[in-house]
Amino acid sequence: MTAGAIAAEPLGVACPMDLGWRYASGAAMERFLAGLRERRIEALRCDGCGRRYLPPRPLCGDCRLPLDRWVPVAAAGTLEAWSVYRLPILDGRTGEPRPTPYGIGLVRLDGADTTINHLLAETDPGRLRIGLRVRAVWREELRGALDDILHFEVAR
Amino acid sequence: MSAVAIIGTGQTRHASRRDDVSQPELVREAAEAALADAAVGPDEVDAVLLANMELFEGRALPELWAGAGAFAAGKPCMKVATGGTSGTSGCIAAFHQVAAGLFDLVLVVGFEKHSEGHSQTGMALTDPFWDRAVASGALGNFALSISQYVAERGATAEQAALVAVKARRNAARNPHAHLRMGDLTVEEVLSSRMLADPVRLLDMCPQSDGACAIVVASAAAARRRSRRPAWVLAAETRHEQPYIGDIDRRLVTMRTLRDAARVAYRRAGIGDPLTDLDVAEIYEPVSYAELAWYEALGFCADGDAGRLVEEGVTGMEGELPVNPSGGVLSSNPVGASGVIRVAEAALQIHGRGGERQVEGARLALATGYGVYAWADAVVLGAEAGAT
Repeated sequence: MTAGAIAAEPLGVACPMDLGWRYASGAAMERFLAGLRERRIEALRCDGCGRRYLPPRPLCGDCRLPLDRWVPVAAAGTLEAWSVYRLPILDGRTGEPRPTPYGIGLVRLDGADTTINHLLAETDPGRLRIGLRVRAVWREELRGALDDILHFEVAR
Repeated sequence: MSAVAIIGTGQTRHASRRDDVSQPELVREAAEAALADAAVGPDEVDAVLLANMELFEGRALPELWAGAGAFAAGKPCMKVATGGTSGTSGCIAAFHQVAAGLFDLVLVVGFEKHSEGHSQTGMALTDPFWDRAVASGALGNFALSISQYVAERGATAEQAALVAVKARRNAARNPHAHLRMGDLTVEEVLSSRMLADPVRLLDMCPQSDGACAIVVASAAAARRRSRRPAWVLAAETRHEQPYIGDIDRRLVTMRTLRDAARVAYRRAGIGDPLTDLDVAEIYEPVSYAELAWYEALGFCADGDAGRLVEEGVTGMEGELPVNPSGGVLSSNPVGASGVIRVAEAALQIHGRGGERQVEGARLALATGYGVYAWADAVVLGAEAGAT
C-alpha cells in the first residue's frame, strides 16, 4: 500500500476479557441476603416518611435519615409494570447470552413500598397486566443472592 | 453569577460505525468544528470539560487520549459521566465555571463510540446485588416504565409511532444525523420488530459513534467575539434516589425533569412553555418518552401529549417544533447526546440551523435524561437575561 492510502478494512485490535470482581455487601444488604437463604425477605422502614425500602439501604434519600427499623415482607405481591424482552443481551453476571424471550416486571411485595425489578415466568404479553398477583419461585439451593428468587409467577 | 453564552458549536457525522477515526480523532473532529465556528484558537481555550461513559467502550481513562483531541494538555480538564445526562451536565458544569468567573472560554466535548464496546451489557453492569441478575439495559428499563405510562395516561402505539416518524423525517434535514429516513411511515414503525413490549425497533434510538462540542464564553468574551451569542438563561440538574423501583410510576411522575424544568422556566421568565419557547431539543431515547416528556415539561396537561403529536403542534411547522435535529431517536452517541441537545438549541439561537432552522428562534429549551437517576433542563435565549 502506498503511504497515505486508507485500507478498505481499517486495522483494529480485539480485546476479549475474562475477569472477576468481588463486591462487599455492607451491613444492611448482608442482613437481607442472609435472610434470603432462609426464604425471609425484610425491608428497612424510614422513621421519617414511613416508606419501607426494598432493597434495604442505610439512608432514606428523601428524608436524609439513617434506616435501622427492619420490617417483614411477603414473597408475594402485585405486578406494577411488565414487559417481554426479546432482544439478545448478555447477562451482567456471567457475560453469557440470556435466553429470550423472557418476562420482566416491577413487583410491589406485600409489606414494601418500593417495587423490585425481577424476572417473570410468563412470556405471553396477552397474559400479563398491571395489578396481577404474583409470587416468588425460589431456587432449590439458596445462596444468599437476589436470584435465590428465580422469577415471579402469576398466582392463579 | 455573571452571564454566560454559547458562541460556537460543532459535531461529527454520527453513524453506527466510525471506523475511519479513533476515539481521540473523533473528539478532535467535533472540537475543531466548534472552535472554528466560534473563531477561537485552541490556545485561547481556558479549560476543557469532557462527557463520556467509559464503561460502554471498556476503555479506562479515555480522557487522557480524548483530552489531547480536545487540546487539553496544560489546561484544567475534567470529565462528567452521568449516563444520558453526561453531555448536558458537562455543559452545565462549564456554565458554572464561567459564571463563577473562573474562566472566559471553556470547551465542552461529549463523545461515544458505541461500536467499540458493549453498551447494553455496560448498562447491565449496575449494582451487583440488585440489578445484575435481572437488568435488561436501557430498553428493559424503558419498557417497564412505558407499561405504566401507557396504562395510566392512555398513550397509544400509533402516537408513539408518530413521534418516531417526526424524528427520522426531521433527521433527513440534518447532515450530521445517523438515521435519516425522510420517507418513514407510521405503518413501518408499527410493523417493525418487537424488542420489548410495547417498544418496537423503530421506536428506539440507535447506538451511534459521534462527538459534539460547544464553546462557552463569559459575557465579555461573548460580546467581543460573537454577533449573536446564545445566552444561558437557566441551567438546572436534578438527581434521584438510586433504585429503579424507588421511583413510583417513573415516566408518569418524572419528578427530576418536572422539578428541573419548573425552576428553569422560573429563572428564564417562561410562563407557558408551549407558547413562550420557540424550539426544544429534548433527550428522547424512545418514542414513548417524548410523549411523557411533553407532560413533564408542561407542554400540555397530563394525558394530552398524544394530541400534540397528532395535531403536528411539535412538528417543524407547529407552534413548538421539538427536535428539528431528529433528536436522540435519530442519533445517540450517549456521552455526546446531551451536548448535541444544547448545541442544537444554541444553533437555533445562532440562526445557523440550515434546513432544520426554526425561523426567528429566540428562546430554546434543551433537556437531558440519565437512566432514571438524572434530568437536566437548559434554557437559551437570544438576549441576555437578568444576572
